[in-house]
Amino acid sequence: MRTNAPAPEAPSTRNLKSASASQRQPLSITIGRYSALILWVGFTVLFGILRPDTFLTSVTWRLTISEGVVTAVVALAFLIPLVAGVYDLSVGATMGTGLVLMNWVGINHPGVPLWLAALGVLLACAFVGLCSSIIIVRFRVDSLIATLGVSQVLLAFQLFMSENRQMTGAFDDGWLDLGTRQVMGVPIVALYLLVLALLLWFVLEHTPVGRHLRAVGSNPEAARLAGLGVERLITGSLMCSAMVGGLAGIIFSMKVGTYSSSIGPGLLFPALAAVFFGASQFARRPNVWGTLIAYFALAFGVKGLQLTFGPGTFWIQPLFQGATLLIAVAMASRVVGQTRRSRRLQKDAEQGTATPTGS
Amino acid sequence: MNALDIRGLSKTFSGHVVLHGVDLTVRRGEVHALVGQNGSGKSTLIKVLAGYHAPDAGATAQVLGRELTLGSAAAADRLNIRFVHQDLGLANDLTLTENIMLGRRYPRRAGIAIDWPKARRIAHECISRTGPAIDVNRTVAEFGIAERTRIAIARALPDNDDPALIVLDEPTAALPAQDVEKLFDTIRGLTAAGNAVLLVSHHLDEILGVSDTVTVLRDGARVATVPTAEVDKHSLTELIIGRALSRDVERAPRAVDDSRPIATIEGLSGTSLLDIDIDLRPGEIVGIAGLTGSGREEVAALVTGRTHRDGGTVRIGSRSVPSGDPRAALAAGMAWIVGERARYAVFPAMDLRSNITIGDVGRHQRGGRLRHHDERAEARDWIHELGIVASGTDADIATLSGGNQQKALVARALRLKPAVLVLDDPTAGIDIGARQQVHGIIAGRADESMAVLITSTDSEELARLCDRVLVLARGRVVAELARGVDLDAATIDHTQVSGVPA
Repeated sequence: MRTNAPAPEAPSTRNLKSASASQRQPLSITIGRYSALILWVGFTVLFGILRPDTFLTSVTWRLTISEGVVTAVVALAFLIPLVAGVYDLSVGATMGTGLVLMNWVGINHPGVPLWLAALGVLLACAFVGLCSSIIIVRFRVDSLIATLGVSQVLLAFQLFMSENRQMTGAFDDGWLDLGTRQVMGVPIVALYLLVLALLLWFVLEHTPVGRHLRAVGSNPEAARLAGLGVERLITGSLMCSAMVGGLAGIIFSMKVGTYSSSIGPGLLFPALAAVFFGASQFARRPNVWGTLIAYFALAFGVKGLQLTFGPGTFWIQPLFQGATLLIAVAMASRVVGQTRRSRRLQKDAEQGTATPTGS
Repeated sequence: MNALDIRGLSKTFSGHVVLHGVDLTVRRGEVHALVGQNGSGKSTLIKVLAGYHAPDAGATAQVLGRELTLGSAAAADRLNIRFVHQDLGLANDLTLTENIMLGRRYPRRAGIAIDWPKARRIAHECISRTGPAIDVNRTVAEFGIAERTRIAIARALPDNDDPALIVLDEPTAALPAQDVEKLFDTIRGLTAAGNAVLLVSHHLDEILGVSDTVTVLRDGARVATVPTAEVDKHSLTELIIGRALSRDVERAPRAVDDSRPIATIEGLSGTSLLDIDIDLRPGEIVGIAGLTGSGREEVAALVTGRTHRDGGTVRIGSRSVPSGDPRAALAAGMAWIVGERARYAVFPAMDLRSNITIGDVGRHQRGGRLRHHDERAEARDWIHELGIVASGTDADIATLSGGNQQKALVARALRLKPAVLVLDDPTAGIDIGARQQVHGIIAGRADESMAVLITSTDSEELARLCDRVLVLARGRVVAELARGVDLDAATIDHTQVSGVPA
């Protein structure tokens, strides 16, 4: 028996309408998709008026960008597995591990060329990612728990290697120059970030691998049934994530050089906030450019506040990042709620036309 | 005075009549069976009795001479009407005592601490009313399915000594044959103590074995209420189906085909499926029919590798398809379309073209780079060929209707040019227009020498599409119906309900 409800054609026409409506989105959603850019411009104008003498100088911009590069790289490390729906909370600890290893080689084996040390660090980090993926894929531990555990093990490793002291690896000037030089007025580390971002953007948006990662993130069971190597994709994404995390540590060794145990874990939260804020931008899913723009919009906001209200405002950064994360995720979950609602409506419509209800 | 007297029960959902003036009388101390096909209205009747739906005006009901307000859960509960549903609703990690005490007040010591010895005594009394005593300290998970059903019944029994009406909704669907007998003992014990039982079931053997009276519903109306002693399986089946066996054939019968099968499935076994064999020849559409619990719902999952097989082999040509490995099944030339789209197939928050091309997006890759332009062109071709209604290739899949989502999945499977296509209840939950389109597409492709295996709950669908239909009951093939010989919807219905060839 069939309930009468709409005629068979009704759902398709209605959905056609809603489909075309999604192309002409309401203004609020369009603004939301570019909110990070708007925020960045807004901060520039606001603090440009409040502090034209300091905020609008090229020194401030150069400083803010080069200070932010390492965290932004960590954010990209967090982004890769997130596309496949896997949380890697160990990215901050991986960065610290990379840094401690660079320092350890620099201090204990000064003869080893640093590029070789960097290569070794990347391999070691890939191994860390492999271990995380085995825990997640083989032993079916939730990725949040697994990578949280791995991050503590990595922290222990760092404390052991550094004997809980600051390490200054006595890197040679050539190495430090790679992190502090400017190319045509732009900090060279910003170019590293740009190259990495371009590479990740290409892989995630313009190769089958990127498509497959998104499919796994969207519906893992359907991905398995579509013939995708779900476990291999997750393993690969975690290994890449760990290597990019290690790369952040290597860049930090070029820029600053000094290891202390508080550095890595402290980067996790700002990175996470940038990725989630960024996921509400542009195509409204985790994406490379959204992440970077969200990160730097926040970084400039913090910088402006600090310049305006003076050095007593050390508490601004966590407040700012915490609030942004909450707002961004609340916005994103509202979006999710909307699609769920529309899907439920659709399901109701289907049941109204096609499913027997009497049995 | 009867245990339950319902007069003139009608129920209309937005203009559509689901129950039409149904009378139902359950006498004290009897087991009354309520039977009917899917959509006959028996679930709605139970839901009205449980207070989940309110009936249309004009219906009256009495329990032991007392007025019952239909559509009120509280009123039904007050008059000792109790329900045990198919999924039992037990908390498997809790002990038997804790499960019995759910919904009851725990006895307390000094008004604070739970008096566990007393609680265990209450649980023991409850379970004893349904048969031999069992250990009330064990967790429910330690018990077999038959004992669990008993625990659910024991929990449902009222605390007072007034006679109760126990409604058992498909209690035997998951039970192996030897456990069914145990459940019957429990049911007989309940009626011997003066309670009445209203049993809803698909299994005619069980109804004939345990009930005293049978009421048959068909298309929302009561067709008959007869003493069980006066009917047999055949006459009961005809009452349920309501039509004489007739032949209606829409596809032309295939010429007798002695070609080698392209796919052979041997000894396929799963949870409720026991050892079935299926051969598929190129261009042939083979259907699998069976009621819920017959094993029909497992066949596609076991063949395609969605779940691991308990036994059996699947071969396509000379290639063996390993168990639980969809990737290998695809590589061997199999593709599938699943009716449970949201769970197993659709990628929400991805666009239509990605949902179509996901199985092999690599073909649009040149030098490592995805050619979005080529991909969109292919998606456009499929949208055109299958008549998918969408705002474009990049429309979010969630904005499409169920039928159009399903057509996108048809495109996903067909673009792989499979040798064997497995359809798992492919038109579940889509409207009739889209259903016919999907049928047309599948039949057309089969004519181009693709082999098709289709499992469905819809007998009309199987009768329309298939060259052969295997009917399952209790995990085995009980009949094979061939087009042009004995294949039609009524025969499928009859065979799957009765469990024997017509």
